Amino acid sequence: MKKLIIIKYGELTTKKENINQFIRCLNENIKSKLSNFNIVTNYDKGRLFIKSLDDNYDEIMNKLKEIFGIHEIIIGYEIATLDLAEIENILLNLLKKENFQSFKVDTKRSNKKINLTSIEINKEIGSFILKNVLNTKVDVHNPDLIVHLELRNNESYIYFTSIKGLGGYPVGTLGKGILMLSGGIDSPVAGYLAMKRGVKIEALYFESPPHTSEEAKDKVEALARILSKYNGSLKLHVIHFTEIQEAIYKNIPHEYLITIMRRMMYRIAEIICARENAKVIINGESIGQVASQTLTSMRAINEVVKLPVIRPVACFDKLEIIDIAKKIATYETSILPYEDCCTIFVPEHPIINPNMKKCEEYEKLIPYKDLIYQAIKNHEVIKITPNKKNDYEDIL
Amino acid sequence: MIYLDYSATTPVSYDVLESFNKACKEYMGNPNSLHSLGVKAKGLMNSATKQISDQFNVLDSEIIYTSGATESNNMALIGVALANIKKGNHIIVSKLEHPSIYKICEYLETLGFEISYVNNNEEGLVDFDNLRSLIRPETILVSICAVNSEIGIRQPLKMIRQIIKKENSNCLFHSDMTQALGKIPVSFHDVDLASCSMHKIYGLKGIGILYKNSRIQLVPLFHGSSKDNDLRPGTPAVPLIASSAKAIRLATQDLDRRETFIKRLNEKIVKELSNYDGIIINQTKYSIPHILNISLVNIRPETFIHAMEEYDIYLGTNTACSSGELSSSVMALFNDKKRAASTIRISLSHLTTTDEINRFLTNFKIVYNKLNDLVTK
Repeated sequence: MKKLIIIKYGELTTKKENINQFIRCLNENIKSKLSNFNIVTNYDKGRLFIKSLDDNYDEIMNKLKEIFGIHEIIIGYEIATLDLAEIENILLNLLKKENFQSFKVDTKRSNKKINLTSIEINKEIGSFILKNVLNTKVDVHNPDLIVHLELRNNESYIYFTSIKGLGGYPVGTLGKGILMLSGGIDSPVAGYLAMKRGVKIEALYFESPPHTSEEAKDKVEALARILSKYNGSLKLHVIHFTEIQEAIYKNIPHEYLITIMRRMMYRIAEIICARENAKVIINGESIGQVASQTLTSMRAINEVVKLPVIRPVACFDKLEIIDIAKKIATYETSILPYEDCCTIFVPEHPIINPNMKKCEEYEKLIPYKDLIYQAIKNHEVIKITPNKKNDYEDIL
Repeated sequence: MIYLDYSATTPVSYDVLESFNKACKEYMGNPNSLHSLGVKAKGLMNSATKQISDQFNVLDSEIIYTSGATESNNMALIGVALANIKKGNHIIVSKLEHPSIYKICEYLETLGFEISYVNNNEEGLVDFDNLRSLIRPETILVSICAVNSEIGIRQPLKMIRQIIKKENSNCLFHSDMTQALGKIPVSFHDVDLASCSMHKIYGLKGIGILYKNSRIQLVPLFHGSSKDNDLRPGTPAVPLIASSAKAIRLATQDLDRRETFIKRLNEKIVKELSNYDGIIINQTKYSIPHILNISLVNIRPETFIHAMEEYDIYLGTNTACSSGELSSSVMALFNDKKRAASTIRISLSHLTTTDEINRFLTNFKIVYNKLNDLVTK
């Protein structure tokens, strides 16, 4: 008998054609997440198994809770036999550690060569437990303990409880997207939700020194670091946006500042997508939240790019977004009070129904193609990993 | 030199001093400045605070830097007293506190606060029944040190906390942990407020910590900050703060192994000194081995200490803060004036070597016999 972790796939089971690719990706994600652990994984179409050579299953479980594409995480036992009598003996030993007054047996028999049906096995094991464990009874509706038994090709598996995984698809199975990460509450949540659907993300941040501070950038790095837990690691693209922003501020009617600025950002995001082979732009826009997020504004801004723009929180209320931000622990960082480049140069009355023709006319006033070219040329890429190296380690 | 006065102060650790030097040179910015030098200094300070708060499993905001344990004690006792003046005016302290606590209490009495002194049993532990009977609805604070500085009595803070909170759930509990930190495991969760000092744990002089649970409001002793709830306004001492994080990290490593070693040294000294007729060992089963207190029945302790100094051996009387007076702790424990008037404190460290103790004992014998002959002839 060997202890091990059994992973149940979530929605993956609905995929017929691509399932192998999904599971392979999940297996890679798990191995990369657990690269510091001494483990062996193997998988088939129904289950993925993880064996730890150091028996540190609790730590591994905690790591697995940060991986998308997992429906349930189970600590179980592998028994290298299909013989019921042997299984019963081992089960009896395992039951000694469990505290229960009622139970039921739930058998899954993927090996159809076994003579007995699942229901017959349930009865057999159930009566064995009744005979051998004192003061217990069968309760199929509300048992204290469910004895799960799975009979597979050459082995069987026993387990009692499971915990929920994050669900979703393995990150990377659906390709890559560029997340416009501002430092606010919404965009990290948008990134999280995109990853949940299997999109691997890279983040894009616009900085405007001296109008924005180093602390604002640190904050974005901190947010990217939280997101990187789910993403493996995360590339953070930092665009130096000062020249573009100043050119807009000097030359364009102020009511259009934000609209034009967002159009520039979208253009840059699309170029980064092309360079990084990303298929979509992802951002934290939420319908109606601010002037640039009215439907008219969105249309006027969206017009400059051809790639799909995914807005995972578009239809969420602010409070719903905050709930998720708290759950994924980005909220505390998001509310730190540093200006980002969307909050400086804010006109008093930004236009809420921008006219597309006017946008195009105004943009002719600045050499934006050159400015964008310069910004892309000088852009900085930071590789973010979940564990920050402490800059002060040597001194503390 | 044989230094046996580690409870008065400790030599600064090389690594701690290096941190201090490095922070002075490379992090010279004011953490309140906006520019990158300030941000860098603030980053170091915040990381240091986080390291400390993580180690004690408390919030960053619950760690307040002071100039040392005496200031922490002032901030805690006076701060709590003034903040709770409407709830009550009664404060309880033990009879085994550091002199700074008693001086603060004297000051609080002039402001109209009433101070009670809780008894201890013959082993030195706070008398639980007496404590229970002293706590009243208007008791706002109990302050009991984790380890007594003279005899090294260790108090069961967790139990004391339970008793206090059961009698009066509003009453706060402060502990002076100066002599406990770095010697025995301490938990800030046992108390509402705690004082610590860095120079007692191989850190630098001039910095200490006040732990203050975030639910507690104190009236600040110092004013001048633009921030709310800033108990210690002024430019933070970033190098001292960074060195403190290091000092705490290093001093709390390996406590068990160090204690076992120090216990052996302590037992060796006790065994030897028990042979002298004119020496009484002031120790109970709750004394930690790091602090060994003895009374010299016939010899003035000051004379003895100076005589030992001739041999380059350094010992303490009472506590360094109240030399020359009766030892209040020995008095509280043994109620014997003569015994309390002639105490010497030998305080040990993991840095102490067996060889040092051997040499100490040899010289002790010479000095003792010489002085004892003088007075007994």
